[in-house]
Amino acid sequence: MNSAIEGIGLAPYLSVGAILLVLGVFGIFLNRKNVIIILMSIELILLSANINFVAFSAATGDLSGQVMTLFVLTIAAAESAIGLAIVTVYFRNRGSIEVDDITMMKG
Amino acid sequence: MMTQIVFYVFAAVLVLSATMVVCARNPVHSVLFLILAFFNAAGLFLIAGAEFLAMTLVIVYVGAVAVLFLFVVMMLDVRFAQMREGVQRYAPIGAAVGGVLLVELIMAFTHWRVAGNIGQITHLVPSSPTRTNTAALGDVLYTHYIFLFQTCALVLLVAMIGAIVLTLRDRPTGRRQNIDRQHDRIPQESLEMLQVPLGAGVAAQGGFLRPHDSYDVAAVPGTYGTEAWRAREAAEQTQTALVVITPAQGAKGQDDE
Amino acid sequence: MNWTLALPEIVLALSGLAILLAGVMQKRGQAFFSCAMMTLLAFVVTGVLVVISPDGTGYSHVFINDGFARFMKVLSLTGAALSLVLSVGYAREMEIDKFEFPVLILFSTLGAMIMASSGNLMTLFVGLELSSLSIYILCAFARDRVGAAEAGLKYFVLGSLASGILLYGISLAYGFAGTLEYAGLQQAVRGSAVLPAGLMVGIVFVLVGLCFKLSMVPFHMWTPDVYQGAPTSVTAYMAGAPKIAAFAVLLRVMAGPFGSMTPQWQLLIEVVSALSMVFGSLAAIPQGNIKRLMAYSSIGHMGYAMIGMAAGTAEGTRGTLVYLVTYLFMNVGAFAGIVAMRRNGRAVTRISDLAGLGRTDPGMALAMAIFMFSMAGAPPLAGFFGKLMVFYAAINAHLYALAAIGIVSSVIGAYYYIRIVKVMFFDTAVPALDRSPVSVSFVSVGMGLVTVFFVVGLGPVATAAQAAASALFR
Repeated sequence: MNSAIEGIGLAPYLSVGAILLVLGVFGIFLNRKNVIIILMSIELILLSANINFVAFSAATGDLSGQVMTLFVLTIAAAESAIGLAIVTVYFRNRGSIEVDDITMMKG
Repeated sequence: MMTQIVFYVFAAVLVLSATMVVCARNPVHSVLFLILAFFNAAGLFLIAGAEFLAMTLVIVYVGAVAVLFLFVVMMLDVRFAQMREGVQRYAPIGAAVGGVLLVELIMAFTHWRVAGNIGQITHLVPSSPTRTNTAALGDVLYTHYIFLFQTCALVLLVAMIGAIVLTLRDRPTGRRQNIDRQHDRIPQESLEMLQVPLGAGVAAQGGFLRPHDSYDVAAVPGTYGTEAWRAREAAEQTQTALVVITPAQGAKGQDDE
Repeated sequence: MNWTLALPEIVLALSGLAILLAGVMQKRGQAFFSCAMMTLLAFVVTGVLVVISPDGTGYSHVFINDGFARFMKVLSLTGAALSLVLSVGYAREMEIDKFEFPVLILFSTLGAMIMASSGNLMTLFVGLELSSLSIYILCAFARDRVGAAEAGLKYFVLGSLASGILLYGISLAYGFAGTLEYAGLQQAVRGSAVLPAGLMVGIVFVLVGLCFKLSMVPFHMWTPDVYQGAPTSVTAYMAGAPKIAAFAVLLRVMAGPFGSMTPQWQLLIEVVSALSMVFGSLAAIPQGNIKRLMAYSSIGHMGYAMIGMAAGTAEGTRGTLVYLVTYLFMNVGAFAGIVAMRRNGRAVTRISDLAGLGRTDPGMALAMAIFMFSMAGAPPLAGFFGKLMVFYAAINAHLYALAAIGIVSSVIGAYYYIRIVKVMFFDTAVPALDRSPVSVSFVSVGMGLVTVFFVVGLGPVATAAQAAASALFR
């Protein structure tokens, strides 16, 4: 076990991760008017999982959690690129980035 | 003791800036707080001994992702003042969902325990205790996880294809070069050598002129400013004088496809 | 290291890169058809390679190839190839005639295949993201249509949220066992007398993420809108290969690493399955748009397929696999009919647009009627046998309530399927639809034959599914 994380313990790390997860989910519910902040909330959710992975990796001495974090960072970058491209397409068509505007298809 | 203080400073700033990402009135501020959040998360990674990931987080997120966000926020001309009106309506639901989730998670984590037989499970450990974090990651990344490493490369390729296919447009007003044609040009085609008598100037010979159609030969046929483009514009102007111009591309019905 | 285990995936990935290059080299506007054909060829070659690929575990337990993986991969490839054929006929009208389209379908299918072969939660996540990210782009591919942009955005936001939740769940499972490999997780779960609440939260989060991809109730909100907004051939694809891949990982994870704690998650699966069946049947009744109707129909079908998983036995898994086979064929067939719904060159998607089809185009009406009866579960069509096998497995596993709910909801569901048949054959005719191109008719006729004569192939399919299921429960 890594000496630094031994002094702090696993619970504070997991709590920070849980708070970030909740903030991300909260952000998605809160910001119905701005898709870009929703995308940032998704980044926060992925970051919370990454913090968990790194903390567990340090606690168990297993490297695969850190490798996973590396892959998640890659995928998160790809995801935000695609997300922003879709937002741009949506903005071109609708002239706004409000999610509430997506009411054409209801029922 | 020192580590603990540093940890709690990083953690507090991380949580505060994450809150600001979600609650800030201006999306530009949100992006800046996101950058701050990632810096502090990198600090937490450092404390946990994941040095390589901490640096990657800063480089990938602050260097690329956050700048991309900032770029898009600036590019889309959105009126942010109106944007916050609907917030109050959803805040109670969001707070309720978030609060319940948080309490449950923290309750679950206060007594975290690992598997009883964790000693028997094969773990992936650095080859020697003195191996640095970066080297240890490199050891497994290109051996154990080569398959996933390559798959991640495909994910990035897909993102690249997606960004191009969704946002690249051929603008009819773009003056695109025909590079082959430009390389093939020779001085005789584009330069006219004049014998200018001393003291007479060039006015007598018609002045300095660009060779006729010099732009047409270098531009991609049909793009802005070429002969074909001018002809098409003229034709369209005679046509559109009679019809009503449709206001937006978005006017297409959603029912067809 | 036995790298040839992943030969089908490697071949598919390399052909994807080659097709991308070939598309760039060709003149714009002409590349779509040739690239689509090359992609189909790549699918066929990969399918052959999958069938002859050996069993084993490779890449340090990252990649597993067994009978189950082969079954799911062949199914995904079939679904992807058929929906690609559907997109060829109307590519220009759907505004998807760019060479990137078949390439993205290819990479999405590759992701689905990697998911089916996952031996590690990392592989699961990376494969899932490769598959999902491609589909987000495909949804918004017709970028000048409002509906497509909205569908893409909606699917992206909710899909990324689901991926994030799934990832968080994976991180908790990792924290419990200290490894991401299925074998190690299984060992850890079996060897621990007390399982922490955190691990339960993790498993629930993984289930939620995968149920979202399968559009199970209550994570179905995106389905009708996205199905309606996306180009029809993309919808046909989304209803096929990605769902099969999500089922593949769900079955593998729940039977493998978390197999010894079946009692803990079984109730959750039962509830989700029952809700999906009932909701899919009831919500489809008032729909006027056939693409939305197909969305609710697919929610219901996923509910039926999940009955087999709720049983938690090899027999139940066999039922789920056979159900997925029948679902794939009748679903693609029905979408062939929907793709062909065009009047004066414009796509129409109202159910009332089908009125009088029995007189104006008897062949297509007959094919649609076959698919609708099959989806309703009428014997002796394909859908009947799928339902029979999952209900049988549920009764053997003493899940009587679930089987009863399934039977009741399939009776309710029959109403809206048969309503379409009634509209086609007994309503007053509206102007005839356009003639459909050969490729669409080909898929329609082929799937119709498969659906009608499925009973002939039931033996081999059931044997293959049995072998696949026993590979999972070994």
